[in-house]
Amino acid sequence: MTTNESFMQRNYFLLRRLHSLTGVMPIGVFLLFHLTTNASIVWGMLDSREGATALERGVRTFQAEVDFIHSTPFLLLVEVFGLWLPIAFHSLLGVYYARTGRPNTGAYPYQANWRYTLQRTSGYIGILFIFYHVATLRWGWTWMVPGGVEWKHNFAASTMAQILRGGDEWTAAGAAVSAAYFVCVSMLVFHFANGLWTSAITWGLTISARAQKQWGYVCAGVGAALMLAGWASVLGFATIDPVKAREIELRHAAGKGGAAEVLPAPKP
Amino acid sequence: MNNGTPTASKPRSAARSITVRIKRCDGPGKPARFESFKVPVEPGANIISVLQWIAAHPTTDGGQRTTPPVWDSGCLEEVCGACTMVINGKVRQSCSALIDDLAPAEGDTITLEPMTKFPVMRDLMVDRSRLFHNLRRVKAWVPIDGTYNQGSGPRESPEKQEVRYTLSTCMSCGCCLEACPQFTPEPDPAAWNTSFIGAHAISQARLFNLHDTGKELATQRLDALSGPGGVSDCGNAQNCVKVCPKKIPLTESIAAMGRAVTLHGVKRFFGVKD
Amino acid sequence: MADKRVIVVGGGLAGLAATVRITESGLPVDLFSVVPVKRSHSVCAQGGINACNEVARQQGYSEYEHFDETIYGGDFLADQPPVFEMTHFAPKIIDLLDRMGVPFNRTPEGFRDLRLFGGSLYKRTHFAGATTGQQLLYALDEQVRRREDEGRVTKYEHWEFLRPIIEGQGDQARCVGIVAQDLRTMQIRAFRAEAVVMATGGCGLVFGKSTNSIVCTGAAAARCYRHGVWYANGEFIQVHPTAIPGADKCRLMSESARGEGGRVWVPRRQSDTRHPNDIPAGERWYFLEEKYPKYGNLVPRDIATREIFKVCMDGMGVGGGNQVYLDLTHLPASTLHKLDGILEIYSKFVGDDPHKVPMKIFPAVHYSMGGLWTRHVPKADHRGLEPGNPGQMMTNIGGLYAFGEVNFAYHGANRLGANALLSCIFDGLFCGQSVANFVRDNAPTGATPQALLDAAVADESARQDRLIRGPEGGGSDPNDNAYLIAREMGEEMTAASTVVKTAARLQQALTKIAALKARYARLRLDDTAMWTNQSLAFARATGDMLLLAESILLTGLARKESRGSHYREDFPDRNDADFLRTSVSKFDAAGGTHQLSYQEVDTALVKPRVRNYGKVESTAKSAAPARQPALT
Repeated sequence: MTTNESFMQRNYFLLRRLHSLTGVMPIGVFLLFHLTTNASIVWGMLDSREGATALERGVRTFQAEVDFIHSTPFLLLVEVFGLWLPIAFHSLLGVYYARTGRPNTGAYPYQANWRYTLQRTSGYIGILFIFYHVATLRWGWTWMVPGGVEWKHNFAASTMAQILRGGDEWTAAGAAVSAAYFVCVSMLVFHFANGLWTSAITWGLTISARAQKQWGYVCAGVGAALMLAGWASVLGFATIDPVKAREIELRHAAGKGGAAEVLPAPKP
Repeated sequence: MNNGTPTASKPRSAARSITVRIKRCDGPGKPARFESFKVPVEPGANIISVLQWIAAHPTTDGGQRTTPPVWDSGCLEEVCGACTMVINGKVRQSCSALIDDLAPAEGDTITLEPMTKFPVMRDLMVDRSRLFHNLRRVKAWVPIDGTYNQGSGPRESPEKQEVRYTLSTCMSCGCCLEACPQFTPEPDPAAWNTSFIGAHAISQARLFNLHDTGKELATQRLDALSGPGGVSDCGNAQNCVKVCPKKIPLTESIAAMGRAVTLHGVKRFFGVKD
Repeated sequence: MADKRVIVVGGGLAGLAATVRITESGLPVDLFSVVPVKRSHSVCAQGGINACNEVARQQGYSEYEHFDETIYGGDFLADQPPVFEMTHFAPKIIDLLDRMGVPFNRTPEGFRDLRLFGGSLYKRTHFAGATTGQQLLYALDEQVRRREDEGRVTKYEHWEFLRPIIEGQGDQARCVGIVAQDLRTMQIRAFRAEAVVMATGGCGLVFGKSTNSIVCTGAAAARCYRHGVWYANGEFIQVHPTAIPGADKCRLMSESARGEGGRVWVPRRQSDTRHPNDIPAGERWYFLEEKYPKYGNLVPRDIATREIFKVCMDGMGVGGGNQVYLDLTHLPASTLHKLDGILEIYSKFVGDDPHKVPMKIFPAVHYSMGGLWTRHVPKADHRGLEPGNPGQMMTNIGGLYAFGEVNFAYHGANRLGANALLSCIFDGLFCGQSVANFVRDNAPTGATPQALLDAAVADESARQDRLIRGPEGGGSDPNDNAYLIAREMGEEMTAASTVVKTAARLQQALTKIAALKARYARLRLDDTAMWTNQSLAFARATGDMLLLAESILLTGLARKESRGSHYREDFPDRNDADFLRTSVSKFDAAGGTHQLSYQEVDTALVKPRVRNYGKVESTAKSAAPARQPALT
């Protein structure tokens, strides 16, 4: 314990700054890409060049995005070192730092103070959510998913829709998962946008009250756009019909040279 | 003898009475209790004049004779920083807390509590030694050779003077610390050097780093602000700047010191001297 | 020198400057203060600090001129060599403060800016906004914190000075330490020292509501007086012309408001009820400008106060009350910006915006020109003091010094604005050297028997016990309460012994003080806790204030002339033949009586002349019936 403490003390500044840095890069940047990619289920529908129906355009666009990601060489290595470790680092230190504060919005209900408190709350919730999200979708811990659906990267939209519904049809547990996704994604987007704002103060990029305010508008803009993307993703996946989406994905796979053998067995 | 007491032009309520609830505590570690007093107030009265009245008439509204409450005060014109307390849940200077604003109607209640971030000595009086200790952590002084005559100091533009003057009006009242969610009670003086230093000290570090001679100690100040309890511990709740009675741009100071420790850290990482 | 120490009591400008200088000479200092030193009353000084500088010099001003103004402003009652030294030393003090980082206001090119102040026709006042005292105090506080960090200063904050410990008698008397009390644990103990510097400020609270801080009781000075230290010129109390009366205190509106162009006026028509902004210039009576065309609103404080007082007494005050306008509304924003510190005080406490409406002000007790008697050692030609001579600002007790407002040395019968900060720092720096040299030249106090120290502690403990327990049957009357006694004392002292005094009124006040002393003797404290007992500290101070009040009344009664701030309606003229003398009170502890004597004033350099600041008799006299106003 003492060695841990002295390590923390010795490298205090470095760790603090790495915590701030990892929040923006790579985690924040990843969130940016992740949500815009996911939102392709909606913005793909707006792309008139592909497919016949809106659903088809959405599902195909999203599948293409996922395929592109999965074509990355050494994907696991990139994930582990570029994402999971930074997230674990940011989370662990975040909890450690957050525990040093005593929120007091009751006595001082100022907007910035609410954001301070929410930053910590959203951090805690975000950690639980990210763990659930990665465990269920990446590591295949399907026992945590209502309906036991496993996400497949080559049936990206349809399996996601199943997970958010609890199967091909809506279930109460599925609705709860959808709601949780909606709330948690919103929290994470807030966490990122507000973190982007505070990091500029931490690093001393915005000094004057005016600069802080204006950077605040920028961060609020980024946050709003990301929030839209996040909501679009969740609502997009939750509202598409998994069965129809699966058909589109099958055609998409066939068009690319076929991956039909990984088609999940229809649920009884 | 007192004919024609000056009155202010602002219309004010006539003499009336209010209830003042005071959180009392006989000493460190002793249990706290509330006592209420019914106090007649004149127009223009403030918390201090009310406390002075209670001290002279220490009988609770239940008719119980009690000890005069203990509180800290000094100049009574909001320049010495002594009379900080928590009034109706918010920290502020009690001298500038006017009864007509806080309890405008007959019978209104005002609640007085000591600050929560410092050890209570008795009643409303706390021990703010840690606040002053933190000024030592950032070496908040100009390292002059001595007081013998050596000619004048450095010339300075009015713009820079304006910035330094504003920072230099910090009266160490502790409002910024009381309102800060990151500044938490620390009864053990041995831990003061690694617990959060607070907005006031960060701002003082900026003040002295701005001065031509003061910046001779900039490296040491930035070392202190880089370490545990330094500027990185700020959580940007920005309550400090909201409650500062002197309107000191504390959050700007925090950002400015954030930049300074960033550069300092980078230079140190590459072995470059400041 | 290792085990030699100096005690400084009081952490305002004088005490801190002394601490810095004494530690610089290698001696460790124990610094005692009832408040954290950063909260000392010097923080309240607003306007600035006087010193001749190059710009003023090239306009015909000089250090000598500053000296002459100070002497003239003080109505020739100040000994001239100390004032000469102080005014000639002043530019060095400004330079030093500048080096310490005081954010003095600057000219566009970056030089220190100057403002006009009372009693001078030249701009020679250096300033930092309208909180100059705060800025100077902080600069010195920082230097002391640095020395504390280096282990050269030990601070005893929240410790109260109870008495000096004096060994020997008469010429052989020497101060060997102090008795002090920890205001938290209530522990009383003795501290040994080779020399003790009293830098405990003024006694505004003797007058109840004043511009002073809550700690300015004068009790420390009274405790010295009780133990044989002489008190000089106590009757000279400065009443500042411009303050805002309040429920708890009177808040100062700096002279700098007038220095920057503020004008004092009342409506010419007595019953004019119009809003001040609706009263045209021709119907306003700028009585100071009219009566004193040369100095205008910047006549010295005693004169401005008496004029304002008189206007109100004649029923010409605003709304018929005790208030006149201090008008800044005509000044440009850039000028007002320099006064932000005080304008904020006005708007916070009164609720009106002084940028838009004239402020309503009235005089209030502000400063004590008198104080502990101190000696000085002039140069052979009387042009200044002998630097480093151990006698500078030493009281009649060897090794016991008095610096700053607590001594009587520099301001005669009336202090000029912006000279107080100067005298405090001058004492600390210039006379601080004397303390160091005294310690160097005298035997250490190690030989002092411990029994002497123990006896002093036992004596103070016994006094305290008497105060807590009270006499037989004491405390049965709720009016026998220190807070009420102090309030009545303040009201009586303000009414009887401030702007206008008469023998009859002073006598009446003496009777009242005697009655209050009798009530004080019956005190029994509600709070008997031996932990952070504020009422005990206040009750003890009340006894000391009563002693000081009595002495102030007696010397005022004996001074049958008018000079500076001391205006006797029954003796309206200055009487140099009989009273160009320092009044010196000595307390006879055995009989409990005050013994008054007089000392010649050293007027070697400037001969006393008529002091009227070019007054012309006003023609706009009101026919209103006279009435008796009172400070509030």
